[in-house]
Amino acid sequence: MSDGALLRTERLTCDFGALRAVNRVSLDVRAGTLHSVIGPNGSGKTTLFNLMCGEIVPTDGRVYFEGRDVTGLPSHRLPHLGLARSFQRTNVFGKLTAYENVWAAAFARRTPGALGFLRRASEFSEVDEEARRILGEVGLAHKLTARAETLSHGQQRALEVGVTLASSPRLLLLDEPTQGLAPEATQQMTRLVQSLVGRYTILLIEHKMRIVMSISDRISVMAFGELIAEGTPDEVRENRDVQRAYLGARR
Amino acid sequence: MNTSLLAGAVLNGMVTGMLYALMGVGLSLILGLLNIPNFAHGVLYALGAYVMISGAKAFGFLGGLLTAIVAVAMLGAAIDYFGVRRLYRVHPDYILLLSFGLSLILTESIILVWGPVGITFQPPALLTGAIDLGVTAYPKYRLVVMVVTTVLVLGCYLFVTRTRYGAIIRAGIEDKEMAAALGINIRRVFTLTFAAGTGLAGLGGALMSPVRGLLPTMGIDILPFAFVVVVLGGLGSLPGAILAGLLVGVVQSLMTAIWAPGADASVFALMTLGIIARPQGLLGQR
Amino acid sequence: MTRGALLRFGLLLAAIVALPLAVRPVVASEIWIFAIAGMALNLIFGYTGMLSFGQATFFGLAAYTAGLMMIHWHAPLLVVLAAGTVVGALAAAAIGYVCIQRVGTYFIMLTFGFNQMFFFIAYKWTAVTGGDDGLPGIPRPPLALGPLAIRLDSSLRYYVFVAAVFLLAFYAMKRIVDSPLGVIFQSIRENPGRAAAVGYDVKRYKWIAFTIAGGFTGFAGVLYSMMFGIVPLESISWIISGDIVFMVLIGGIGNLYGPLLGAAAFKWLSEAISVVWERWPLILGVALVLVVLFLRGGLVEAFRRLRDALGPRARPEPGAKLPVGIAAETEAGS
Repeated sequence: MSDGALLRTERLTCDFGALRAVNRVSLDVRAGTLHSVIGPNGSGKTTLFNLMCGEIVPTDGRVYFEGRDVTGLPSHRLPHLGLARSFQRTNVFGKLTAYENVWAAAFARRTPGALGFLRRASEFSEVDEEARRILGEVGLAHKLTARAETLSHGQQRALEVGVTLASSPRLLLLDEPTQGLAPEATQQMTRLVQSLVGRYTILLIEHKMRIVMSISDRISVMAFGELIAEGTPDEVRENRDVQRAYLGARR
Repeated sequence: MNTSLLAGAVLNGMVTGMLYALMGVGLSLILGLLNIPNFAHGVLYALGAYVMISGAKAFGFLGGLLTAIVAVAMLGAAIDYFGVRRLYRVHPDYILLLSFGLSLILTESIILVWGPVGITFQPPALLTGAIDLGVTAYPKYRLVVMVVTTVLVLGCYLFVTRTRYGAIIRAGIEDKEMAAALGINIRRVFTLTFAAGTGLAGLGGALMSPVRGLLPTMGIDILPFAFVVVVLGGLGSLPGAILAGLLVGVVQSLMTAIWAPGADASVFALMTLGIIARPQGLLGQR
Repeated sequence: MTRGALLRFGLLLAAIVALPLAVRPVVASEIWIFAIAGMALNLIFGYTGMLSFGQATFFGLAAYTAGLMMIHWHAPLLVVLAAGTVVGALAAAAIGYVCIQRVGTYFIMLTFGFNQMFFFIAYKWTAVTGGDDGLPGIPRPPLALGPLAIRLDSSLRYYVFVAAVFLLAFYAMKRIVDSPLGVIFQSIRENPGRAAAVGYDVKRYKWIAFTIAGGFTGFAGVLYSMMFGIVPLESISWIISGDIVFMVLIGGIGNLYGPLLGAAAFKWLSEAISVVWERWPLILGVALVLVVLFLRGGLVEAFRRLRDALGPRARPEPGAKLPVGIAAETEAGS
């Protein structure tokens, strides 16, 4: 697409029986930006991610990534196209070590031909370096050999992001990376996300208003499955509909 | 093939079919609620038969039936309480393996108590002999069993779909956590359902003992067919189990009459075709 | 190789040498044969998280195929070994393709159902399989290596051969598990949704695991066919399927050595007890129930607990990739 929209949705809709969880959402994410999606609980943000990433097939509407129609593609195709997401509820490989978690995600992008599988996993030095680099970047360098399920919640959220980064995507979809984190860990995560700006295009779901307002280039606001406002942080802050939708849930 | 033989085969198929449906219903409840294939279901069927004949010696036919149901249901509750409960949180595969181990223990125990030789058992005097149905003569007892199992199966279906307790069971099948969150003592529901499901298997065994005779391996022999019924009917679907049970019973019976060597294999071929054509089973959801 | 790995391998070699001294060579051969089948199940269950209750399908199909080839065509040893492996893999590819469309309970019951189907076919098709009586008259062709033809007539000679090819199979399995496939399979076991989200076609890899396991199991089946000069019906019955599951569970799932321990324990126990008491499956059932309730990591876990009780654990080297499986449950993070 010539107008620089890395990701575009057109009237994306999702019905669960009689319930319309996402209603004709059209938004653009411009390359190189950090675009946040906010809204009260239950407004359909995570469902929107699921629609974009092939976890759910949309009832209607389309999703375009780098100009290419990716609507309804199975989720395992997306990292290979350059799109990766993290999950709101930590979704890692519990009994694998932090290192193996990231290694697995990194290797997926490099799937060699059949002959490649004749080599030992430890011989893939590029994947090894990549995994170590990412774990260092998310602050887990000292926890390489710890099993994911033994990590603290904060460390697991960091691992969650690490696994997503390991897909070397151009577009990152981050679903509430600070979910459940104490203030200090929240700050760390925010710094991490900020450090990713510029290197990646980021679509971020977040609840913590101060973070959203301070780091976003653009914000889309959802309520009851619909997009009710979109603009710069200042524009969104002033928007009456947004204020109404939140009714005092601002932090 | 002459009509009398055909009619006999169809009737046999319906008798077996309703038995399979009964086994399937019990298994389906346990499968739906606990999400494990209960490998012990077959041996509990066998145990029902064996307890029946011992009980019948002491208390007569009906007494024997009652003893069988109670004994097997209590055993089922004990299995759930001492075994399955500990494994709820761990992977469901382990519950399957537990039931597999139990099936071994119980089969060998049957041999220890009742001996390895097959036993025959006569139906009560009232129900011996055959009735002339015009197209063929058919044993009275088998007809009675067919009627009784049909009533039981329908009764289960109505219980689960029309009563409040049945709604609780169905809620537990849909979403255990939600049901528990709503204040339902989900563990008690599990145990009672497990006991009921296994009790049905035991009852099936008890009822069928005059028809098929008893062998220690009768549990192992019937188990695969019970599974086919549940898979073909659709996991967690009681009407599916009933329909599939009848289908399997009739197909097996007809094949036995037409080409006996293919009878058993055809049942599994039926399951395979069914799953390929309709992965969720005949009446299953999703 | 790390010191621990060297030690384990040394113990394995010692066990191979010492085994025929402890039990009859026939039993010893069976142990390694079932160890191969156990490793195969471990690959799909321990590593990939798919419990198959129908591995005897591939074991038996390969055994019958090999038997028929040797009887009718006097096929040489290496040819039947290859043929059995291929038969096992192809059957697994076909059956696996259907079964993998479902997960969990459905999957287990489908594998079980297919096993039953082939069992009944073998049971009734007496012209080909001999039915209940089995397929008799299986020779034991000599091992032809170039100009050499090594006879394998005695049970001890056959044991040496079985142990040797077991080591080959073990090495092959180790390479598979050490390859990226090992991590991929485990990630599928741990979290199939995330495995897909990071880019793996989960069904395809499950199918690959199942097919590989079928090949290994077929290989074991061929070795079994030459054990007694007859292919018994039970080679394809779910009793063997169940036995293989036992062995892997009792030995320790998810660990490369688990199935070996399990096969040894299983065969040795069944030999020892069945002579004394006909109802030995009851002991087996009890053992299984106890393992499932109290020692899910099997013998491997038992040894680990013993070792931990005896002394502190060495810290794993930071650069080393640790093999991780369900058996590693007892390890804490560093």
